[in-house]
Amino acid sequence: MPCRPLPRGDAMSPLLAVEDLSVSFVRGSLLDRLINPFPLPGFNVVDGVTLSLMPAETLGLVGESGSGKTTLARTILGLIRAAAGRIVFEGREVATPSDFRAMRRRSAMMFQDPVASLSPRLRVGTLLTEPQVIQGLPMPDRRAAAKALLALVGLPASFVDRFPHELSGGQARRVGVARALAMKPHLLLADEPTAGLDVSVQGDVLNLIGELKRELGFAAMIVTHNLAMIRHVSDRLAIMYLGRLVETGPTQEVFSAPLHPYTATLIRSEPFPDPRRRSHNPAVTGEIPSVFRRPAGCEFHTRCPLVQSRCKTEAPVYRPMGAGRMVRCHFPLQTGGQEREAVLRASANQRGN
Amino acid sequence: MSGSLAASGLSVRYETPHGSVQALRHVDIEAHPGEVIGIVGESGCGKSTLVTALANLLPANACIDGSIRYNGVDLTKLDAHRQRLLRGDEIALVGQDPMTAFNPVLTIGDQLVDFQHHRKDLSRAQKRARIAAMLGRVGIADAERRMQSYPHELSGGMRQRVAIAAALLTDPGLLIADEPTTALDVTMEAQIIHLLRELRREYNGIIIVVSHHLGVIAELCDRVYVMYAGEVVEGGEVDAIFHDPRHPYTQALLACDPARFHDRLDRLPTIPGSLPSLTQPPPGCVYAPRCDRAFAPCGSIAPPLTRLTACHAARCHAVTP
Ligand SMILES: Nc1ncnc2c1ncn2[C@@H]1O[C@H](COP(=O)(O)OP(=O)(O)OP(=O)(O)O)[C@@H](O)[C@H]1O
Ligand SMILES: Nc1ncnc2c1ncn2[C@@H]1O[C@H](COP(=O)(O)OP(=O)(O)O)[C@@H](O)[C@H]1O
Ligand code: SF4
Ligand code: SF4
Ligand SMILES: [Mg+2]
Ligand SMILES: [Mg+2]
Repeated sequence: MPCRPLPRGDAMSPLLAVEDLSVSFVRGSLLDRLINPFPLPGFNVVDGVTLSLMPAETLGLVGESGSGKTTLARTILGLIRAAAGRIVFEGREVATPSDFRAMRRRSAMMFQDPVASLSPRLRVGTLLTEPQVIQGLPMPDRRAAAKALLALVGLPASFVDRFPHELSGGQARRVGVARALAMKPHLLLADEPTAGLDVSVQGDVLNLIGELKRELGFAAMIVTHNLAMIRHVSDRLAIMYLGRLVETGPTQEVFSAPLHPYTATLIRSEPFPDPRRRSHNPAVTGEIPSVFRRPAGCEFHTRCPLVQSRCKTEAPVYRPMGAGRMVRCHFPLQTGGQEREAVLRASANQRGN
Repeated sequence: MSGSLAASGLSVRYETPHGSVQALRHVDIEAHPGEVIGIVGESGCGKSTLVTALANLLPANACIDGSIRYNGVDLTKLDAHRQRLLRGDEIALVGQDPMTAFNPVLTIGDQLVDFQHHRKDLSRAQKRARIAAMLGRVGIADAERRMQSYPHELSGGMRQRVAIAAALLTDPGLLIADEPTTALDVTMEAQIIHLLRELRREYNGIIIVVSHHLGVIAELCDRVYVMYAGEVVEGGEVDAIFHDPRHPYTQALLACDPARFHDRLDRLPTIPGSLPSLTQPPPGCVYAPRCDRAFAPCGSIAPPLTRLTACHAARCHAVTP
């Protein structure tokens, strides 16, 4: 491994800690707000999120569309202002705009839509070196620096002269990875880094991130709703529902024994590529409610196969359960097989009525 | 009315300023009433081109060769007017993005009434009653209220249900769903898969499901065609394709799906190389530049379609019955 200063603090203290972070967006148009004499209640799109990331660790942030994953990632980097909470990066609290700028110099973000996030008029060579130029880093030969980055992500040097629309989906992701890593970040936030890619190309991009992680030693937070993929590339998982974390834990344990009914539902919903193992009914009926109409009590109660009357009125707290695991549920699934059987039966009954 | 569908020797070229793109080459497929057919392959391999050709909806820069027989009639030989009639009556297409299927300024109910314009025998009230029943069938509770909604007021999963209901309102003999769950979350995807599976019980026509997601194909289909670079390289019953794949590309594609591995992999399997250019497809076997089993004839001679069993066939020199 190349020599590289360890992040501040020792290896046991987190690189990034997020405490009780909330983000709210104002709903409705300006006109709505002018003619509506009553102030709208606050809508937390991200609500009280607490999580941490160790140096060199990979965290998978999983949730359905609209659950607030992108908002959380952007808030961590200071691109969206938090309504409440604390962010600590490399042992120091990040609060002022200049703190965030300093943090962004040591972190990188790969955006959800790589082609849209690359300016269409700039050539790949310019795009790759733009971040360093903006940061005022000396760069005697921009073309050579760009070619070195292309080589790092396995693209031919001739790509320096291409425009983003001349790249395939996989190549655009590789350029996104190169651009993100140009600043030698300590932290990489990747939002859906493989959405829309075929499995083979997805494997390529993730293997590339994995290799570079081993070589450069950065930590990564991968935002996705692709469970089949995140299972292989993350050390720990955080599951998000309507802006709140409902479960966190080591990836293998969460997959083999999910504690939260929502996690179990997600795992069971994944279609399995084997016609001999077809699922017989959907794991969950109904749709994810809008964050603007968050159900009372437990936010998952409108779809939960194990819902009880207490769930409809009393919000469960987010609490530790076993080593390194957290769950937000009154009746978490036990590690034995019986409860999981109950989830299957309950969802079967729900369809039957 | 529902009948069988058979495309043979089907080729489609797109004429572009950069040359002609051979999006489909000598494709043979067949489908019978009551069957769910899967078309699977990586993006750009020609899946959408194939189904738009079947639905007679190819863009103006496309040139088509070969035949598509439906109910004994060659669709490629029909004049424009009869093609349009057939599309309204017999063939319905559900696309990937359910938003683009609807007009944003009309209510769902008004649009679904328009979808039935060919039913001159029904009054508006009768059409609305059919819609309410169909929305119920695709799992939309509160159909009456939903008919007053505009498309943007529905979630993606609900829009896809409405799109399926719209397609079924025309009583098609052939229902084509191109990536019907790709834009949806996994829980919605599971619900749409379930819906399509329920529907086939009462529906006697042909359903064709296009997906690049192997799990969706395995869940839904009876028979599967695997496409690569504009060709069907293997076809067979779903069990044979997933448990006894014979073409090297099918084998590689299955091996790449991370969903098949329970234990964590340090490196995800991939297929080295990339899709060949469709403007200048390789001579010989289209998969030869990436195939780890390529041998002498592969680089120069196009492999014939080898029949392995009554309904399993693969296009590869290395495959023998
Ligand atoms: N600028 C904004 N103003 C108002 N609401 C917003 C804004 N940005 C996001 N939202 C809402 O916040 C919620 C969370 O959005 P976010 O983009 O973080 O979701 P996500 O989990 O990343 O979803 P996806 O998987 O679709 O990318 C959604 O309900 C979204 O509509
Ligand atoms: N209207 C068009 N004009 C020119 N080329 C096209 C057109 N539509 C599709 N193609 C090309 O045809 C090939 C097959 O495309 P498509 O059928 O959409 O693949 P898939 O649905 O499998 O992703 C691709 O190379 C694509 O770029
Ligand atoms: S608290 Fe109740 S409704 Fe919520 S997830 Fe747990 S069991 Fe389900
Ligand atoms: S024909 Fe040759 S190159 Fe093509 S798939 Fe078979 S073995 Fe591979
Ligand atoms: Mg997002
Ligand atoms: Mg397509």
